[in-house]
This record gives sequence, structure tokens and C-alpha cells, in this order.
Amino acid sequence: MPNHDNGPPQTAPQTGARQPGRILIEALMVAAAGVAFAFLANQLSPRGLNPAINYYPGDSKASGVPPLVAAPGVASGANVPAPAPSPAALLRERLEKNGLHLIERAEVEKLIHDPRREQSLILFIDARDEDLFHAGHIPGAFEFYPYYAGKYLADVLAPCQFAEQIIIYCAGGDCEDSESAALFLRNAGVPAAKLFVYGGGMTEWEAAKLPLESGPRNSGNLRNPGP
Amino acid sequence: MKRPLLPAGLTALDAATVLARWLLGGLFIYMGCRKALHPALFLDLLREYQMVQSPPALNSIAIALPWVEIFCGLLLLAGIAVRGTALLLAGMLAVFTAVVLHRALGVQAVQAIPFCAVKFNCGCGGGPEFICAKLPENIGMFLLAVWLLAGRGRAFCALYTWPPHRAQPRPGV
Repeated sequence: MPNHDNGPPQTAPQTGARQPGRILIEALMVAAAGVAFAFLANQLSPRGLNPAINYYPGDSKASGVPPLVAAPGVASGANVPAPAPSPAALLRERLEKNGLHLIERAEVEKLIHDPRREQSLILFIDARDEDLFHAGHIPGAFEFYPYYAGKYLADVLAPCQFAEQIIIYCAGGDCEDSESAALFLRNAGVPAAKLFVYGGGMTEWEAAKLPLESGPRNSGNLRNPGP
Repeated sequence: MKRPLLPAGLTALDAATVLARWLLGGLFIYMGCRKALHPALFLDLLREYQMVQSPPALNSIAIALPWVEIFCGLLLLAGIAVRGTALLLAGMLAVFTAVVLHRALGVQAVQAIPFCAVKFNCGCGGGPEFICAKLPENIGMFLLAVWLLAGRGRAFCALYTWPPHRAQPRPGV
């Protein structure tokens, strides 16, 4: 049954001064209820975030990586700065500062065929989300999306302790999730010397038509299996 | 006998306002759901603005915004606290639009491209969009919110004012 009005038409018109105040109070109440609803929904959601966690322990935005946009008021062309270091050089510098290492595609390609991989002495860790992982990952890679590290840590930690070398990757390019995952693992007790971030990531891997596995880890659904 | 097109007492303007309310509510639910389903991605996009440095503050914004949008959308669909919700949405839209415009100007300066060629994922829920499409979209939603704020279209509202104010008898009644 439509409620055409539970307000003014049956009542005395309110003064202009009172009406905005009422609406403002109503808006504040809606905002407060909305925020309470948000934190409750986040708590119940399997994809909810933890407000207390720093999801970017590498914090590239505070460590010299050029922002996507120029600071307001900076005129382009004026006071031409020295050429900026390449993103790979910046990533290497940032990783080394945290005791981690950058690894190039050629080395990763060698490791995928290294017999130590069969003995779980070389591990691959995919730091992308579940959907992307299932769409295609480096064969045998563990899933470890750092935003929900607690969900994956139990499965990943023991193999990481046993392994000699751990290669962590995400999408590549601007993606920092591999770096975050490496730092989570380092903070969980995995020696930093074992942790290698593959900066080119999945974008570079796929472009080179290197082996991919779809579905869950060790599903055997291989593409580009190679020699 | 000819049947009237609209329920008794409902003008075409009132009907249009009800549709506007449902449209705005539906849009906010859709955009909020897109963000709430991928909160980590939304957090990443929010971080790109580099406006909040503290991780707990950034996380809290990423947690709250999508669900507040869904909550407001549901209130508009049901017709609860319509003007308060419209005021909140108008305020949010004004801030979002200013922030997105600021970032677009920055991207334009860095990439040295025409303003309308600027395209990025603003974290608004619609994926990567051209700024010249995004701004009119936001302005359109802002105007819808202002229209609702003006107080028309009370039909099909569960609780137009929240909390419901006590009815005062008209003088002399």
C-alpha cells in the first residue's frame, strides 16, 4: 500500500529554518547507520578487509615511486628534472631495502624446468586474487593473495620453510601484491634470502607464451606446456 | 470508462520523482556491490589517489564506502529517510566528483593529452571510464539527489521521514 506521505500534508507546514536542520539530522543518522551497516557487513563478508592491517608493507607510494599524477601546481616543462629511474630499478631498490630480491623472466624460466622444483625446493607463489589464479597460473604455484593472508598462510608457510628458493609474482606492471606477499611471508618467519619477486609477473609470462595451469593448484590443466 | 494512468492524487511530476528515486537507488546499489565484491581492488584504487596515508584510515574508507552506498540505495528504493539520504548522497557525489576531477587534471598534465582523452579507473564502480563521460554521469546523479532533496515524490515511501515526526494539528482544526 503506497504511503503517499507520512509527513507534511496532514500536518502544519514547518518553518524554513527548522526543515534544513531536520534533513541534516536525518542525513547524519543515515550516515551513522550506514557506517555501522558497513562494518557489520564487512565483518560477515568472506572478502572483508581488516581495518588494522597495513596491506602495503612495501609502501611504494611513500618511498619515492613517482605518483600516477603530478602534484597540483607543478607545471610540466618547467625545471626539467633528471631522468627518473626505471620502474624495475625502483622495484629492485625497494626490495633490496627489505632484504628481498628481484628476479628476471629468463631466470624464472630456468627454474620452472629445474629438477629441484619437483622436490618442492623451488616454490612459486601467485599473489593475485582467486579468480585470476584459477584462470591461469604458473604450474604448481601456491595461491597467496596478500589481502587475505590469514586464509592461505597455513598452507604456504611449511612448504616455504622447506624450500630453498621462493618466486612470488602478481600481474606485473604496477602491481605491488607480489612485494606485499613477500613481506608478509618474511614477517611470518620465512628467511628473506629465499624470497624472490618476479617483477614482470603474469603479464610478461603470458605474453611469452610460457606454461600455464588453470583451475586449482596441480590440476594438470596445462596450456603452453613447452618442451 | 477510461482508467486513469496514474493512481489518484499522483501527478506526473510525482511519478517521475519516484522513478528518479528508484533509479538513483538502483545505481548506488549496483556501484556499491561492484566495490563490495572486490574490496581489495577498491582499496588499491583508493590508494592511487594518495589522499590518505594512514593504513587504518584508508582501510576504513575502503570498507565503509561501498556498503554505505548500498545502504543508501536500499533506503531510496524503500523510500526511507529520503531527504536525509539524498542530502548524504549529494554531499558524497560532490566530494567524489571534485576528487575525480582533480586526479583527471593530474593525469592530463602528466600524459599531455586532451582532457576528454583521459581515461582511468576512478574506483567509482564502473571500471575504467573516460572523464568526459564520468563527469556528466556524476553531475546527473547529483541533480537527481538534489531533486529528491527538494521534497517531491513521496509516493511509495515506506517512511519518508526518519524518525517520523509527530503530526501537529493545523491551526484551527
